[in-house]
Amino acid sequence: MDWQWDFTFEVVLPRLWEAAGITVYATVVSFAFALVGGLILMLLKMSSFKPVSFVASEVIEFIRGTPLLIQIFFLFFVLPQVNITLPPLTTGILAIAIYNSALTAEVYRAGLQAVPRGQWEAAIALNLSTYRTFRKIIIPQSLPPIIPALGNYLVAIFKETPLLSFVAVGEIMHASKLIGSEYYRFNEAVTLAGIFFLVMSLVAAALVRATENYVKRSILH
Amino acid sequence: MTEPKIRFDKVSKRYGSLTVLDRLDFEVDEGEVVTIIGPSGSGKTTVLRVLMTLEGVQDGVIWVSGEPLNKMQSKNGMVPANKAHIRRIRSRIGMVFQNFNLFPHMTALDNCIEAPIQSLGLSKAEAVERAEELLAMVGLAEKRDQYPSQLSGGQQQRVAIARALAMRPEIILFDEPTSALDPEMVGEVLSVIRALAAEHSYTILLVTHQMGFAREISDRVCFFDGGKIVEQGLPNELFGNPQNSRLQQFLSKVLEAR
Repeated sequence: MDWQWDFTFEVVLPRLWEAAGITVYATVVSFAFALVGGLILMLLKMSSFKPVSFVASEVIEFIRGTPLLIQIFFLFFVLPQVNITLPPLTTGILAIAIYNSALTAEVYRAGLQAVPRGQWEAAIALNLSTYRTFRKIIIPQSLPPIIPALGNYLVAIFKETPLLSFVAVGEIMHASKLIGSEYYRFNEAVTLAGIFFLVMSLVAAALVRATENYVKRSILH
Repeated sequence: MTEPKIRFDKVSKRYGSLTVLDRLDFEVDEGEVVTIIGPSGSGKTTVLRVLMTLEGVQDGVIWVSGEPLNKMQSKNGMVPANKAHIRRIRSRIGMVFQNFNLFPHMTALDNCIEAPIQSLGLSKAEAVERAEELLAMVGLAEKRDQYPSQLSGGQQQRVAIARALAMRPEIILFDEPTSALDPEMVGEVLSVIRALAAEHSYTILLVTHQMGFAREISDRVCFFDGGKIVEQGLPNELFGNPQNSRLQQFLSKVLEAR
């Protein structure tokens, strides 16, 4: 294989380093929005007002049932036609956040439903308010199963960010494609991009595991 | 005549086409210890569950100390009770569950102080003092910092009784409190309930399959079948000289099984 170390250090690394920042930024911001968005979608879906819960479940089904790349394209090409023009990075973050909100909504729902009925009944028998019941009884017991599942989505979002290269967001995949077409050399850039994703995924997985252990220790004795 | 502590006035409860409580009339006096027996599906547990407002009813009114629980007075007469009304009346009632339902992420002490602090507005120091007294009363003072998973079934149920008492209820509901226990742990829980019943400061409603125990502690025993009270009376009369044929059948079956 043709590999040039000076090209790697002088051209590829500096440009990929800059692009890696955008990848990490897009990941963290979309994940944060997906955490909140999922919570909102889950609450809407669990609403006792039937039309709201129906619409929320259909929206979740729709989002889950279409590929993320199509959703990115849709936002990128359709929003400007209704006079909403966002920068590519913002559009991309929005698309990833919406897509993953539908997934995290299911994580929250599964976590809540894992808490036995008897816990709700005990809270009623002790006359705890709805707020207190969630805050002190239900949420602490649903966190341990929710956190590792959310962590998996953090890693998944990270690996979804290369899709943003399709709408010319300067993340790491896009940067390595550009280097390739400028210099007619793909080996170094694409290999380094792959290594970057591998290393970052391992780091993220370790972080998720540490968080999981911390929550288990602090909430469940 | 004084108002009964609990009064069911033609209360009906249905799940789809299945009638669980059938225009039930039922009264319990203040300080009375009443045991409900009956075959499964007879509606006996449902009586406790609708009293605790874990489930609603379709018809009738449930009265607690002369005030309606599932309805409230308004200028247009009786209307379905709102949340605040239900919470106010419900605060007089405590419940002990078959499966304990302790909060697994809290110690025995925290289980007993969470609701008094939040719902009764006690200070933490007051709540802890009261919880410690109650844990001592059920013989578990030294287990205060243990989590439910570190306690035996009998100990968990005794903590659950302390937790219910910490809310200072006037009425305590026991829903098959020993059914989920290993046989050797039944006695320790029954002796706690026995002590409470002897005090007569609480109105106690107990659903159980422990016929000997029911006979010993109850002021009155009610036999439920098909969502109705088929026969009721003093324990010695009801167990010693049952009149109704279904009660006779039921008793011969449970006593045989022992």
